[in-house]
Amino acid sequence: MSEAGLAPPAIQALQDLTILVGAPLVSGVIAHVEGRIQGRRGPRILQPYYDLAKLFRKETIVPEDSSWVFLVGPIVAFGCYLIVPLLIPVLTTYGLPLGYMGDILGGGFVLALAGFAVSITSAESGAPYAQLGASRAMTFGALIEPTILFVVFAVAIITATDLPYALAATVRSSASEIVRPAHILAAIAFFLVVLADTGRIPVETHSGTLEFGMIDEGRVLEHSGAPYALLKWGSAMKQLILYTILIDVFVAPWGLAGDRQPGAVVLAIPALIGKACLLGCVFAVIDNSFSKLRLFKITEFLAAAFLLAALAVLVYYLGGG
Amino acid sequence: MNAVLIAIVVVPIAVTILTWWTPLHLSRALTIASGIATFVLALTLVPAATSHGFLAAGPALRADALSIVFVVPTAFLYLTTAIFAAGYLHLPEGTAGRRYARRFYAGLNLFCWAMVVAPLVNGLALLWVAIEVTTVVSALLVAIDDTDGATEAAWKYVLIASLGLGIALLATIVMYYAGTKVFGSSYNLSYPALLAGAHRFPPDAVRLADILAVIGFGTKMGLVPVHTWLPDAHSEAPTPISALLSGALLATSFYAILRFFQVSMRALGPTFPRNVLLAFGLASLLLAALYLLSQRDLKRLLAYSSVEHMGILAIGMSFSAPLAIVGVLLHVIAHGAAKGTAFFGAGSVVRKFLTKDLLRIRGGIALLPWSGTMLVLAVLALSGMPPFGIFRSEFLIVSGGLSDPHDAVAAILVVLVTLAFFGLSWFTTETMVTPAPPRLVATLGRGETSWFIVVAMVLGLAGLVVLGVHVPGQLSVLLHHAATELEVTR
Amino acid sequence: MAHPAPSTFTGAADVIAVLVLLSEFAMLRAPLLRSQVRLYAFQSLVVTVLAIVVAATRHIDELYVLAAVSFVLKVVVVPRIVLRLLSRAEVSLAGSSAYGVATMTLIAIAVSIFGFFSIGALHLHSTALPSTALAISVAVVLVSFVLIILRSDVVSQAVGFFSLENGVSVASLVVASGLPLIVDVAFLFDLLVAVVVFGVLMRVHQGRTNTLSTDPLDQLKG
Repeated sequence: MSEAGLAPPAIQALQDLTILVGAPLVSGVIAHVEGRIQGRRGPRILQPYYDLAKLFRKETIVPEDSSWVFLVGPIVAFGCYLIVPLLIPVLTTYGLPLGYMGDILGGGFVLALAGFAVSITSAESGAPYAQLGASRAMTFGALIEPTILFVVFAVAIITATDLPYALAATVRSSASEIVRPAHILAAIAFFLVVLADTGRIPVETHSGTLEFGMIDEGRVLEHSGAPYALLKWGSAMKQLILYTILIDVFVAPWGLAGDRQPGAVVLAIPALIGKACLLGCVFAVIDNSFSKLRLFKITEFLAAAFLLAALAVLVYYLGGG
Repeated sequence: MNAVLIAIVVVPIAVTILTWWTPLHLSRALTIASGIATFVLALTLVPAATSHGFLAAGPALRADALSIVFVVPTAFLYLTTAIFAAGYLHLPEGTAGRRYARRFYAGLNLFCWAMVVAPLVNGLALLWVAIEVTTVVSALLVAIDDTDGATEAAWKYVLIASLGLGIALLATIVMYYAGTKVFGSSYNLSYPALLAGAHRFPPDAVRLADILAVIGFGTKMGLVPVHTWLPDAHSEAPTPISALLSGALLATSFYAILRFFQVSMRALGPTFPRNVLLAFGLASLLLAALYLLSQRDLKRLLAYSSVEHMGILAIGMSFSAPLAIVGVLLHVIAHGAAKGTAFFGAGSVVRKFLTKDLLRIRGGIALLPWSGTMLVLAVLALSGMPPFGIFRSEFLIVSGGLSDPHDAVAAILVVLVTLAFFGLSWFTTETMVTPAPPRLVATLGRGETSWFIVVAMVLGLAGLVVLGVHVPGQLSVLLHHAATELEVTR
Repeated sequence: MAHPAPSTFTGAADVIAVLVLLSEFAMLRAPLLRSQVRLYAFQSLVVTVLAIVVAATRHIDELYVLAAVSFVLKVVVVPRIVLRLLSRAEVSLAGSSAYGVATMTLIAIAVSIFGFFSIGALHLHSTALPSTALAISVAVVLVSFVLIILRSDVVSQAVGFFSLENGVSVASLVVASGLPLIVDVAFLFDLLVAVVVFGVLMRVHQGRTNTLSTDPLDQLKG
């Protein structure tokens, strides 16, 4: 190991910090852009930080019949969201030591664990809308999982490994890798999955409180104070993690640091945040261009995503594409 | 002879154009004249084809023995149907009648033109185009009567037949691909080239093309399970069109399958193409025989009989003895004549009794002394009775089949044909041979509705007797030549 | 097990071919008959683009003419005819189907898998387009069958047949790109005639039963 440049643990910590600190920024940018598109001035970009700070100072109220799960759940979720950035390529093109703890399936499992924790705590609260949101989230999660699996398969068979770093390297290697249909289809399928998982239109209204349509947002209705801050931060981090996977593995894996030079690594941070904000703007535009699907039509949407992912595998496996 | 080939292709299309404008009587006469001319020209082609091997006119037209075998029955049916239609059509007065007549006669001539041209074109691509034209024209003709049943039948027909032809187009393209390995990436699908180079085609592609062709063209031929449009279309169309559909169009589609069969035999050896036809043929014969036992509609009964005979053709082609192949080709000609005559008789019955329902028709022979008797004879011919042509052809097929390793199939064929005979004979006895109830005699009166119908049926039966008693020498030579062409394998 | 990446051309051509298949799936879903026709126009456009791509890379000039003719016929004329029929039919313009969209999509996926596997077993190679495109064209044909069988109105069935022809066109571009122009144009004009017949029969059907659904078409049985 050469001594020039940062030590790998430092880079690893930097990855986590980037996600941790950058997530509310990305949320803020998206909210601001959305406001602008709608003709308003939009909230200020740093608003989420102020919101988090305010929430940490507020008192926590707990429903009478709930148990310790109600308070522990947000912490578990937050912890999971801190683990995942260790496994995926956030800032670097090469694998970091802890990055080999889990492959892309492992990352998927940890994300699912986080989602499970959030659903459990909202079910704990006993409030109707929270439970509704939790059960809907689990149902749609069950439909999203096959799609994610097929996307993972597509990744795996293209690179003969399922380390996300390897796919990023393959995509960077030549233009032909980008236009191969398996890759494009898998990318679009994953894009749709991200759209569904982060609770955007056409699956769910991200802002506002339309209880009848709430899935993700409904789950956090009963929390307050520090746990609520952790949940909000956690969901912002999940959003940024999913964006990072989409960008760094599928779509635009450039700008990552190729070595351990501090300059390169530090430059990778704004590169990532910038790309994530761009992607967020894309989602904001989609948000304002379409209307929300009725709940039973969400299965059609997810069937379409599944179709694309299945086609990605088929076209590759049986057609050599 | 180049001139004859060109003439036989030009005459019907010229008459088509003329009948669009001429009044009814003239259209009638023109169509009959065209039928006579086409049939005479077809007969002239018979000796020429056997003595020269094949005839050509330009790059697009080519007639070898196999083609002429299929042109002869089509031309014969053209002639007899034209005569029959002259006596059968009852048109309302005024513009509605004139419009119907114009569309009917132009359609009839165009339909027959397409069916005559299809065996004469040189190449699988042009063959597909010709058969597509037949589909399109016949679909419009099926719908021409403008009843609920006709509309439904026409929609089903055009949908299923077009789907089948789409598959057949895919088959043509896959066969083209097989040829590119030998001929390079640009060539036309003419028969001499295909047949010469077939033994070097990649076998997988040819297998795919053969199966797709049998399924695709099989929809038009009436092979089970893609035959579902056939009973509806053949029963709801006007009777002259039904006769042409059953007697000539099914045979033309069979011709298309035979061309693919020829290429596959040379590319793959005999086993695979024969087995494919055997499978479909057995299914068709079995299903048709069963359905024949439960029919209530006269024309539907005859339609299922067509499915039965198409099954016999397919099974016959799966036998390896040359005798069976000669039988199959003779059966094509004989079936055309017999089915046409049967439909003419059915049309006469429907004209007289004003219904197609078998339960309401009684005393056919008593009320229709000529056409009723001839209808009974035609149905007996269809069941394989001597001295008619179908007896001879089925005999040839069965005897060829018994000398084949698959001789059990020949036995099954005989059993199923007997079953079909039961179905047909029930109808015959119930409707035709029973004495006429006095009420019907009083309302309908004895006597033919039109002598044209009688003449057409006499012609058909005469042809059947000729084929059954003694096949004319030239025709026999033609059949043997064509059979030899179909037997060549790798 | 990893295949090497195909060349950029192959990959791009594959993506265009996949678009054809995706528009076929979209037709399964489209509730309005008008949108089905527009999807068919889009699909024909994609096929035309594919033809131009093949013509440009393999230097087959005849294909440009074919692309032009097929553009005029399949993207302009045929949709226009069907849309005109729809606008004249004063009946409800939403199609109906036996199953829900998600079920039909799953059936169609299963059918496509069958198509992919059968073509994969045959090892057909071509120089014009990658063999993925052939598997995709067979999948398009099979899914159009699903469309015709499961949708129960005449326009969907007619559009299903037209899209089957699109699938066959893609197949011909893959394996038969050197087919003489005359033959290709003959196929296209035959299609046009078939379209006219479909149009006539649709109008007749709609005139008699006052609906575009195929439910009344069940009188003839046995």
